[in-house]
Amino acid sequence: MKIEGEHTFNGPRPDVWEMIRDPEVLASALPGTQKLNKLSDMDYEGVMNVRIGPVSGSFSGKLVVSDEVPPESCTLTVDGKGAPGFLKGVGHVKFAEQPDKTTHMTYEGEVTVGGTLASVGQRMIDSVAKSMIRQGFESMDKALEARLANKAGQEVEYKPPTEAQFAVSVAKDMAKSWTQIAEVRMIMYIIPAAIILAIIGYVLSRIMTR
Amino acid sequence: MERKYIGKPIKRIEDPRLLTGQALFTDDVHLHGMLHAAFLRSDYAHARIKSIDISEALKLPGVVAIYTAEDFGDYWHVGPLQVPPPIAIPGAKFHAKGLPPIAKDKVRFSGEPLVVVVAINRYIAEDAAGEIIVDMEPLDVVTDLEKAWEDTSVLVHEDIGTNMAALVKQEKGNFADAAAQADVVIKRKFYVDRGASGAMENRGLIASWDNRTQNMTIWTNNQAPIPLRNTCAANLGLSDSQVHVITAFTGGGFGPKIMTSQADDVLLPWISMKLCKPVKWIEDRRENFLATTSERDQIHYCEIALTKEGKILGFSDIFYHNTGAYDPYGMTIPLNTMTHTMGSYFVPNFYTEVRMVFTNTMVVSPVRGAGRMYGNYVMERMIDAAAREMKIDLVELRRRNLIQPDAFPFRTGITGQDFVENVLDSGNYPETVRKAAEMIGYEKFVKEEQPKLRAQGKKVGIGFVTFVEGTGVGPYEGAKVTVENSGKVNVATGISTQGQGHYTSFAQIVSEQLSVEPKDVRVTTGDTDQFDWGAGTFASRGMTVAGTAIHLAAVAVRKKILKLASKVLETPEDELEIEGGVVRVADLPGKSISLGNLASRSNPTRGVVEPGVEPGLEATAYYGPPYGATGQGAVAMILEVDPETFEVKIQRFVLVHDAGTVINPMIVEGQIMGGVQMGIGNAFYEELAYDEYGQLQNASLMDYLIPAATEMPPKMELGHVVSPSPLNPLGLKGVGEAGAIPTPACFHQAIENALENKIEITSSPMSPSRLFALTRK
Repeated sequence: MKIEGEHTFNGPRPDVWEMIRDPEVLASALPGTQKLNKLSDMDYEGVMNVRIGPVSGSFSGKLVVSDEVPPESCTLTVDGKGAPGFLKGVGHVKFAEQPDKTTHMTYEGEVTVGGTLASVGQRMIDSVAKSMIRQGFESMDKALEARLANKAGQEVEYKPPTEAQFAVSVAKDMAKSWTQIAEVRMIMYIIPAAIILAIIGYVLSRIMTR
Repeated sequence: MERKYIGKPIKRIEDPRLLTGQALFTDDVHLHGMLHAAFLRSDYAHARIKSIDISEALKLPGVVAIYTAEDFGDYWHVGPLQVPPPIAIPGAKFHAKGLPPIAKDKVRFSGEPLVVVVAINRYIAEDAAGEIIVDMEPLDVVTDLEKAWEDTSVLVHEDIGTNMAALVKQEKGNFADAAAQADVVIKRKFYVDRGASGAMENRGLIASWDNRTQNMTIWTNNQAPIPLRNTCAANLGLSDSQVHVITAFTGGGFGPKIMTSQADDVLLPWISMKLCKPVKWIEDRRENFLATTSERDQIHYCEIALTKEGKILGFSDIFYHNTGAYDPYGMTIPLNTMTHTMGSYFVPNFYTEVRMVFTNTMVVSPVRGAGRMYGNYVMERMIDAAAREMKIDLVELRRRNLIQPDAFPFRTGITGQDFVENVLDSGNYPETVRKAAEMIGYEKFVKEEQPKLRAQGKKVGIGFVTFVEGTGVGPYEGAKVTVENSGKVNVATGISTQGQGHYTSFAQIVSEQLSVEPKDVRVTTGDTDQFDWGAGTFASRGMTVAGTAIHLAAVAVRKKILKLASKVLETPEDELEIEGGVVRVADLPGKSISLGNLASRSNPTRGVVEPGVEPGLEATAYYGPPYGATGQGAVAMILEVDPETFEVKIQRFVLVHDAGTVINPMIVEGQIMGGVQMGIGNAFYEELAYDEYGQLQNASLMDYLIPAATEMPPKMELGHVVSPSPLNPLGLKGVGEAGAIPTPACFHQAIENALENKIEITSSPMSPSRLFALTRK
């Protein structure tokens, strides 16, 4: 499965780079991450809770940073395994400093998913992955804001979203697309209509039997 | 001769129990102290097992035991093969790779069992399985058939140095000569995929070892209970008589339930013996898709050679067949493909070659049709290609090549799944074709209705194909028929039942001989304590082979009845008749004896008996055919394709079928309709989507599309022709797989016709998006 996209960070490139290489930020950017330990400058290991549709469980895995060209680009290799299946991915990330002191990040990569995640969650993998990425960036934006503010001497607290908030957010993303589906809309109209008809029917029957 | 019971659409005796929840299915069995098993299965399709850590899992309260391959010690063994290698075919090459019950050292498909967890309930067992840490070294995966055949860089079985599971060639006549002489030679490549069986009830097994009686009882929903018992006894070093296999009511078989020597029937009895407790395992739906056998892809390279009048001179078919990671079921599927390619047609020169390949996917074994559908698909599609090129009507081209009624028995020159030459026993092929064309109104539709509909912009098309169905193959089956003191009859046979109505149709056969109402004939199938010689339910052979054995046993019992009654009533046998459960003298209705009374007389508890006389009114009989009986038919359908969404709606469906003598027409119709549903699935909806890493992407009914009532034709119009088989006394042929065999070819032909031949379909299944892509080419 190919993943690609871009995101603009509201800060200068050196700060963005520093933030990306901070395991605390990475861990908090993706809630569900139980822990992310730095084994060395290039190796991390951790545990993460994942939920894709009806499939959920915890993954343990390794993250390796390679081909580093700070603060321009690097390659991230992920290898995770758990009860819900396994996940292997390679991604290339590039950062470009923009004239307005923002940083434009582009990423592209290849992910292989296997096990229950693949065989039962297949249809949702795409949308959940996109949602997770969006959430992650949102969270990192806040973290970046807090960092820059702290640097400037202001007290700004960065509170990473909790797992519950994250799940709600993903569900909202999914729901947005759900209401586009004709059948779901039909149900949304039919159920209230059926209830109203049932009530009318009941009231009428009571009137008739008098 | 007017028959009283045979040929009548008698309502099924077992239905009231089934419909009111009174029937026992495997999952209904609850035994005292029963434990539950769950399997941890491999996610990787190809990997080396480095270590398995069960320590965390063992800590969970409620977990009783956890076993890996090492824990089974010497008991762990591969296979055996369920179907022997094709040594009967000269030059056949075959690499036997039986299925290991649980993976050791290496996994070769996603879903292969790694660990068995036994706990006090299934929930705890699955939770514990989630705590097991398996360290695996993933290897490269091979899933493409042609690549697996040619490329040895990724080997499923390293010790044989190749991914070739088998290479078998058969030839009748000489295709090369035929092609040289032909006016037209057409070549095509086809990709044909099938799918899962999707039975409503999944596999299940309960093994219960009683240490005090030293007996093993197994409840299962297997299609081959006797081989299962024999293998189990052999595995555990027990006498056959110590193992009792009971087949409960089964919610559909369709093929995969024939498999024995799987993880469940090998490991659970051993575990039960070890723990001295009953152990139960019921497969869940995801396991069924992932780790129960299915029938999958073949790639065909075909050539057809014809004269300019449209007479087929020869056909050549070189095809690849995916057997998955192991080949426990031998060559049954590809041999069926080979014997069914020529179909209803006279093909004087035929060359067929199968290249069976190992891949890192689930093992392939028969699913309703068992390989016949591929042969039918490629021949019918090639004929369509020829009809298109030579501008001959599709039905007419088929008519010109049908095997004629005077040609039977017709020797095909090709060896089949029963390792003998496939011989077509009887049939009237021109008649089934004529009848089907008449029922669908072919001429009228093509000449009048279709042009009108096309003028309105509707994409409506008609399809017409023929098919043959090899059924009733050996080796043999047996049955025991007994008249009891109550006057009721007891029948026992070795095959099992998966919902095809054996309790009724077998009773009808006995009723015909003994004049006892079917409801008073008690039929037991698949219980090894009641009858334990036989092979199993497969290849549409239950009625033909077991039914014939039952008939022969009933005939023998009738002889015994008349012999004894003649003595008791002091009347010659030819003046006696059996009617309404009573034997009486033809002209003196007062002089009679009930069958129950006669049965008591035949089994005295005191006195002396004549030498050579057997007790009771009972007989056991066996029947094995010299080769299988072949049914035949023609299918026609009219469907409409939506020009924007490419969804397909079937408007009319006609199937004319010749299955020899019909015992219960209502049951036969049910069988045909069920087969058609699976054929429609294979044509347009069902597909086990493995990606290039051997990961199954649709292991749930959310994503695996089994046709529902909305995808079926509004009505199925069925016609019958009866050409009794000369191979058995009742003239029976099988019919279970008929509907599934020709439907995809007909479906695709009708779609091409609806789209005015602007596209050509050479792969199955199709789907709305695939059709769309074809129209854009």
